[in-house]
Amino acid sequence: MINQAILSMLWNGTLDTLRMVSIATFLATLAGLPVGVLLTTTAPGHILEQPFLHRVCGGIVNLGRSIPFIILMVAIIPFTRLIAGTSIGTTAAIVPLTVAATPFVARLVDGALREVDAGVIEAAESMGATPPQIIYKVMIPEALPGLVLAVTVTAVNLVGYSAMAGSIGGGGLGDLAIRYGYQRFRGDIMLMTVIILVLLVQGIQMLGDAVARKFYHRN
Amino acid sequence: MIEFKNVHKTFEGRASVHALRGVDLSIPSGEIFGIIGQSGAGKSTLVRCINMLERPDSGEVWVDGVLMNSLSPKELSKSRKRIGMVFQHFNLLNSRTVFQNIAFPLELARYPKKDIVERVTVLAELVGLTDKLQGYPGQLSGGQKQRVGIARALATQPRLLLCDEATSALDPDTTISVLRLLKDINERLKLTIIVITHEMQVIQEICDQVAVMENGTVQETGRVVDVFTRPRSRAARSMLQGFWDPKLPSALQSTGNTILRLTFANQKVHQPVIAQLVRTCGVDVNILYGRIDQLKTAPFGILLVELVGSNEQRSQSIAFLQENQVEVEVFNP
Ligand SMILES: Nc1ncnc2c1ncn2[C@@H]1O[C@H](COP(=O)(O)OP(=O)(O)OP(=O)(O)O)[C@@H](O)[C@H]1O
Ligand SMILES: [Mg+2]
Repeated sequence: MINQAILSMLWNGTLDTLRMVSIATFLATLAGLPVGVLLTTTAPGHILEQPFLHRVCGGIVNLGRSIPFIILMVAIIPFTRLIAGTSIGTTAAIVPLTVAATPFVARLVDGALREVDAGVIEAAESMGATPPQIIYKVMIPEALPGLVLAVTVTAVNLVGYSAMAGSIGGGGLGDLAIRYGYQRFRGDIMLMTVIILVLLVQGIQMLGDAVARKFYHRN
Repeated sequence: MIEFKNVHKTFEGRASVHALRGVDLSIPSGEIFGIIGQSGAGKSTLVRCINMLERPDSGEVWVDGVLMNSLSPKELSKSRKRIGMVFQHFNLLNSRTVFQNIAFPLELARYPKKDIVERVTVLAELVGLTDKLQGYPGQLSGGQKQRVGIARALATQPRLLLCDEATSALDPDTTISVLRLLKDINERLKLTIIVITHEMQVIQEICDQVAVMENGTVQETGRVVDVFTRPRSRAARSMLQGFWDPKLPSALQSTGNTILRLTFANQKVHQPVIAQLVRTCGVDVNILYGRIDQLKTAPFGILLVELVGSNEQRSQSIAFLQENQVEVEVFNP
């Protein structure tokens, strides 16, 4: 039976998941945005052209993205302990989630920034804009809808990753699903967690779409 | 005053393109100067060398006594604020309102907020967009977008305005209105305007002087009236031919009589030269085609006429016309 205790467990699990996802998304955006800017602007023909740096940076990002999350999570346990003091629980799970999402964000940011019309950047250059001015006043504002969608995709992915993190003691809805749904054969709890996860993803995507639309003025 | 001295530019790539092959050109202050040429002639590259969007491989580019290709990045950024640029595809910021677009170069130059509001208001009035300031570029027509582009280019009060195919993406009526605006700005603000175009009409409407480019070189420079009436280069002639001359029906071309192309400029347009020709030389003149246009500074006319008469009368006629300062060219050699 679904009783009060289970409901409150689901509620707390949802809050844990939300906390992990939102903090990891925030930190990964903070770290991934500059890397993405670096990737775009150092590309051949761009405002800070640095072919060697561009290749090195791109290589590291690709490497980060090619490691499966579950392996990454185990591999960086020492690092997680160093940062969070422990490798168990929701707070600890934020570390691998952030590390995994950062290269992902960087690549998506790069993609969004590359969509900015070269002519507009050139117009800014013709007005004497410096590279930092071009980045802050032209590229990022012009790419804002794309950047918002990039963050949204990242958050959605992190919901999935956080469930995986739950399977090895990360807390949140994934943890519930494993401990009750799988290990104690509570199919009903399993189903509830899945429904909540689906709703979370829908909600995040809707929010992201709405915010992106607000910044979109092209028509 | 802008001066190019032996400017070369090559684009390296899979196939390297020698886009500028030793350009020498001086452009006086205060005028509207046209640069015309076929696609790929190097017009854009040349103009982009003025504000160093493109760096010449060799040669010198001088703007008002400053050697542009010797400037440090910081000095260049500063001197770019004195050179406005208008683009074929407008290149407005979609994320900013019209107001914010016009304010953009002022923000870059760190003008105080109050001055920005004042300046944008004046500029919006100049280009006739006062009621659109809070809209976004996405909601404007092409002509309105270009007006925003022009206002933005004028924001920091440049002494020089570069227009790269500013009207090529616009319909004919809008083109005329944008050209009028440029002419008006040139007269009111006394700034130098360089317009790149591949349309003779643009040169005809607003330019004082014109340079004809072909294959990375300047083939000919001069006052528009002079280049239109007495083109010296093959490139200028071929551009003009496409612009003025009609396609005569082949039946007319093969009558065996001489067909002349007569060009009149200035006062000649008002004189009955053809009537005098008939009376003086006794030839019969059959007018096949004619038009009179207004250049920026002078009226300008073209006639295609067929001469019916003896060989002697024909050479007399040509001599008579030339004496009367009409440009004569045999249309069917
Ligand atoms: N960034 C570039 N990289 C490589 N080649 C270029 C580049 N820019 C221009 N070119 C080449 O240089 C030549 C001159 O180009 P440019 O744009 O100056 O011509 P244009 O006269 O402005 O032509 P259009 O009327 O088509 O604009 C062309 O052959 C063009 O392909
Ligand atoms: Mg061009």
